[in-house]
Amino acid sequence: MERVDPFSLVANELSLIATRLRSMVAAEVPNLASAAEYFFKIGAEGKRFRPTVLLLMATALDVHIPELSPPGIGDTLPTDLRTRQQRIAEITEMIHVASLLHDDVLDDADTRRGVGSLNAVMGNKLAVLAGDFLLSRACLTLASLKNTEVVTLIATVIENLVTGETMQLTTASNKRFSMEYYMQKTYNKTASLISNSCKSVALLAGHTAEIAMLAFEYGKNLGLAFQLIDDVLDFTGTSASLGKGSLSDIRHGIITAPILFAMEEYPQLRAVVDKGFDNPANVDIALEYLGKSRGIERTKELAMKHANLAAAAIDSLPQSDDEDVIKSRQALIDLTQRVITRNK
Amino acid sequence: MIIYVRSGRETLSWSFPSLLGLGRQIHQSSSLIEEQLDPFSLVSDELSLVANRLRAMVIAEVPKLASAAEYFFRLGVEGKRFRPTVLLLMATALNVHIPEPVGGGVGDTVATELRTRQQSIAEITEMIHVASLLHDDVLDDADTRRGIGSLNAVMGNKLAVLAGDFLLSRACVALAALKNTEVVSLVATVVENLVMGETMQMTTSSEQRCSMDYYIQKTYYKTASLISNSCKAIALLAGRTAEVAMLAFEYGKNLGLAFQLIDDVLDFTGTSASLGKGSLSDIQQGIVTAPILFAMEEFPQLHAIVYQGFDNPENIEIALEYLGKSHGIQRTRELAMKHANLAAAAIDSLPESNDENVIRSRRALVDLTQRVITRNK
Repeated sequence: MERVDPFSLVANELSLIATRLRSMVAAEVPNLASAAEYFFKIGAEGKRFRPTVLLLMATALDVHIPELSPPGIGDTLPTDLRTRQQRIAEITEMIHVASLLHDDVLDDADTRRGVGSLNAVMGNKLAVLAGDFLLSRACLTLASLKNTEVVTLIATVIENLVTGETMQLTTASNKRFSMEYYMQKTYNKTASLISNSCKSVALLAGHTAEIAMLAFEYGKNLGLAFQLIDDVLDFTGTSASLGKGSLSDIRHGIITAPILFAMEEYPQLRAVVDKGFDNPANVDIALEYLGKSRGIERTKELAMKHANLAAAAIDSLPQSDDEDVIKSRQALIDLTQRVITRNK
Repeated sequence: MIIYVRSGRETLSWSFPSLLGLGRQIHQSSSLIEEQLDPFSLVSDELSLVANRLRAMVIAEVPKLASAAEYFFRLGVEGKRFRPTVLLLMATALNVHIPEPVGGGVGDTVATELRTRQQSIAEITEMIHVASLLHDDVLDDADTRRGIGSLNAVMGNKLAVLAGDFLLSRACVALAALKNTEVVSLVATVVENLVMGETMQMTTSSEQRCSMDYYIQKTYYKTASLISNSCKAIALLAGRTAEVAMLAFEYGKNLGLAFQLIDDVLDFTGTSASLGKGSLSDIQQGIVTAPILFAMEEFPQLHAIVYQGFDNPENIEIALEYLGKSHGIQRTRELAMKHANLAAAAIDSLPESNDENVIRSRRALVDLTQRVITRNK
């Protein structure tokens, strides 16, 4: 089985979704329109990671891409299954972007995805309103699917995103030294969206609870693996050496897995972390301990563990002889490897 | 003096809106004795229940938001819990009564369940209302750079965003629990409309500021959409027909518009009938409301002042002068009354009922339409 580029398997569909997203966030109020479509403009769309996963999952669960309808036929109600599953991808992206817009306001961020953040360009309030607008559009699309179980799943995601953000802002407590707390926060902030939307894709297709759970487990473990490597890269950057990354987490006082592991080996590190990282000297001290410790390796190991769990979930799906199904499942497994071997 | 005839009963009501403030109403009825019931008292027990559930829903597990939580309830107390009152009255008016505590069999359980679901609409509505107020309060960078941005202001910003998101997410979960996708659509539309209304208000061009159409649209988005769509949701949950749902919607919409128009008047007149005694906060923020828009029709010169804006307090004085000379205040009150009457008419168009509770609630809803336009604050 040749290794197919996962993204190329769904490239056409991704374009379709991107186009629909752009029209979905159009608004009759001009300033709101430009704000809402800020991150859906061509070039600012991000890696389209989530939609790729969801579309691959749809095929992996045996729902095929229908023949493209001839041009001229208008966009009718999303009655066919694949279209409904594509809607999940759209809903997911809108919620994701909405949370980015709000997070940037909370973080006073200047840039995002290589361009100026919306709050820096148009003001905090418009960024907040645009996020709310995207959220409401996502909910309208969600309602149109007329599946109350899926509505519940996505509502849970929205709640988890807020909880995760709140957990991150609760810097004063001892909880931020806890790996358990960190994993819970990471689930809330990153993995919940992918896990629950994968599950939604399965539910829309009328699959059993077991299959839906496997889809969920794939998404969850993929998301966790992704974030753990993200944490590593924040320290190492594109090189393997420490301190070459952007170090933005630690500078914001966000304690991630590598530091948490290092603190287990070097309890002295805790005192440094307690003092906070406004003082750049503290950052250097922390990096020194981190370098001496196995923090980076252990984080990579944990990421691999989750990547393997994700792959195992795909392998546990009921057998299929369909070529497309097999290719998509291979691609999903391939993604689990890409997530942990990537350099950026 | 205004007389309007409604389904066999005659109601005399007269009011001298711009001069004497309070109106008086005399009800005569051929069938029932109609005491003047305080609409709020009809649902006060339920309101406490709803308030307690709200408190429980927003305070749980989130220490950092505890201080913001107090803000929630300051906001929630304003307007005498106006919105939940309307919704609970509407629920009864649409023929779902408050179940007896000592109930009989299945019927009462079903009724209780439905009532709880409708109460949930009231809770969801309040959470969204407060969330939108919190997000509307977020400062722009420009404001903080002008020196208003103390650490407090910045923390206030973040807390406002987070607290608003928190409320929205709780509303979403409560909404999902109702397992009714049509209601999800209605509430999602409300959020969208609130955002559109606030954006319209933030970004008006000089031309749009002078347009009555723009103003009414903005007012619908900012104030009436929430009540209209939640009234409709109440009807949908009760399994009522599309027509009844539409009547509920029309009541909410017109009530909301009437409410806002009087709000606009009171911002100029305050508790007195005279001009300039109100807080004048709208005009000071450059928000041009119905009284001024009407005045501009009579005195085109006022256009120029409005174009210039109201950063200069002298312009406010000039505008008030024109307003005083014009019929702006009276015409706004008349428009408010028109909408109040439309709201009352919607209730009167509901399918007849002999149930005492239903009749009382409907009368209370009609009563509210009058209170909204005769109030002084």
